[in-house]
Amino acid sequence: MQKEFAFFPGCVLTQAAIEAKMSIEAIAPILGITLKEINGWSCCGASQAQDVDPLATLVANARNLALAEKMNLPVLTTCSTCLLMLRRAKAQLDNGQKERINTFLAKGNMNYQGTSEVTSLLWLLAQNVEEIKAKVKKPLSNLKVAVFYGCHSVRPEKDLGFESSVNPTSFETVVKALGAQVVPFEKRLDCCGFHAVYPAEKSVMKMTSGIVNSAAKSEAHCVVTPCPLCQMQLDIYQADAQDTTKSKARVPILHLSQLVGLALGIPAKKLGLDYNVIDTSKLG
Amino acid sequence: MKFIIERFDGKKSYEQTYTVEKKDIEALTLLSVLLLIKQTQDVTLNFTASCRCAICGACGVRVNGHAYIACDSKMTELFEEYKDTDTFRIAPLANFKVISDLVVDWEPAMENLRKIKPALVAKSEFSVKEGCRQNQEEFDRIIKQWDCILCGVCASECNKLSADNSDYMEPFVFTHAWRAANDSRSKDPMIHVKPSVTNGLWNCVHCQECANRCPKHISSADDIASLRALAMRKGLNSGVGPAHAKSFYTDLVEDSGRLNEIRLALRTEGVSTALRAGTAITLMGAGKMNPLEIFGGHTIEGHKDLVKMIEAAHAANKE
Repeated sequence: MQKEFAFFPGCVLTQAAIEAKMSIEAIAPILGITLKEINGWSCCGASQAQDVDPLATLVANARNLALAEKMNLPVLTTCSTCLLMLRRAKAQLDNGQKERINTFLAKGNMNYQGTSEVTSLLWLLAQNVEEIKAKVKKPLSNLKVAVFYGCHSVRPEKDLGFESSVNPTSFETVVKALGAQVVPFEKRLDCCGFHAVYPAEKSVMKMTSGIVNSAAKSEAHCVVTPCPLCQMQLDIYQADAQDTTKSKARVPILHLSQLVGLALGIPAKKLGLDYNVIDTSKLG
Repeated sequence: MKFIIERFDGKKSYEQTYTVEKKDIEALTLLSVLLLIKQTQDVTLNFTASCRCAICGACGVRVNGHAYIACDSKMTELFEEYKDTDTFRIAPLANFKVISDLVVDWEPAMENLRKIKPALVAKSEFSVKEGCRQNQEEFDRIIKQWDCILCGVCASECNKLSADNSDYMEPFVFTHAWRAANDSRSKDPMIHVKPSVTNGLWNCVHCQECANRCPKHISSADDIASLRALAMRKGLNSGVGPAHAKSFYTDLVEDSGRLNEIRLALRTEGVSTALRAGTAITLMGAGKMNPLEIFGGHTIEGHKDLVKMIEAAHAANKE
């Protein structure tokens, strides 16, 4: 297993999903992974800035990748939208844009070469599932889990390319390795709506509610997602979303790193489980 | 193996299971399997198809919950995709009204297409006698979007349409608006951009399903993003959608270089908005947000250089 990474936390991990940062930093040393945060990383554009200025967004991500290259390390992120934005930028740069964008990076004495690959926590765990299994201290055998991939973990397949976008298996493989039961979950590949929560609020609340209700119908004890933006949408907006559809169901929403942490025997507090908005106390 | 097909006779919906030998269909396309079932087992099974070579766009269906055009889907590829399953579930395209079995009603989608005026409204310098010429470079700019065959696969998978189709249009409609607006012969891009904005351009949820499933590898999601940028450049920048997108850009370039959720809420909807203000309070209550971040936050190392790089890009783009 690659052990050392240039870590790209993404904006959400610095504040609204602080528990995702706490939990990934708690599990990394136990899994033997060293995460070196990229100094001076900027927002990836969050699948929004390109609507205003696609060129500036590409420049910002070329700079992010160039910063990782200076560290001679591959990039790891746990945010699926950051993953998509960085991988897209890399594909654009590697397929003809490198020279042009480098003339702009030169203004800050930087240069993009294309030497750092971009991966995610989910993919890393899925590729090293036997090692993970061996480190499980507290198998989650009584836990019924609804796995929620999140759009930008799998789509578009041409930009992500790790597995089939219509029949992915990485997440189930990892969750089963932790000893948990994966329940059939109709909405596992649906969109939580996070990126349009402001302009299309009514639709998004319906989508969020549909996912929570689908998980409740599957009798899942929790929904787990590798994407902190999906986690935020399904957790923070859950009460509002359920009110709009008059549903009483409430389901805790965990980050993948929190679930891994529980299986590794890390105390709930260290995984930031008390920062989750929907009560997780029965899980830890 | 089994094909469970969703059927509709005009009054009731039901599932019907057809059994075929795997060896008989291994070399076929999905459309050929449907034709085989119709020819050998059930003449009443309804579906639409015509060209058999991925040009007419008539044979869109869903397989195991995901849209495909049947004539362009080899069974060997479907076996590979679904890991040698012994059962396929075939359903009509989602987000369309079903007329009969796998046949859907296209009229509402065509009505939406008419709204963005997909035909060329040529510049006045062109004439019937001289024609509307464009050079190769100008043609190449829109060639991808011309590939759209109106198969409806993108519309079937669109999460926004599934949630509510009353304030949104099929993704391919936005692709055609992009194509018309970016045609060098077009008189005025706003003829196509304005109706896009008023019919839901900012409501895309970024699920990327359209880009992922398009059999012609067109990304309507990218076309939507590009139409948004064009709309804003042309001054159509009021409302929640543009304010939201701009706030990301402002944080990246003019502020700290990173996004701030509280500032985002305030910039997007203003201080008085009840729901989002409630969210900011929830975040602060959960100890996740530092309210002082509203006033600035920590600026990233090298932010001045990032701004210089972006300014250089803008300057070069203007040349």
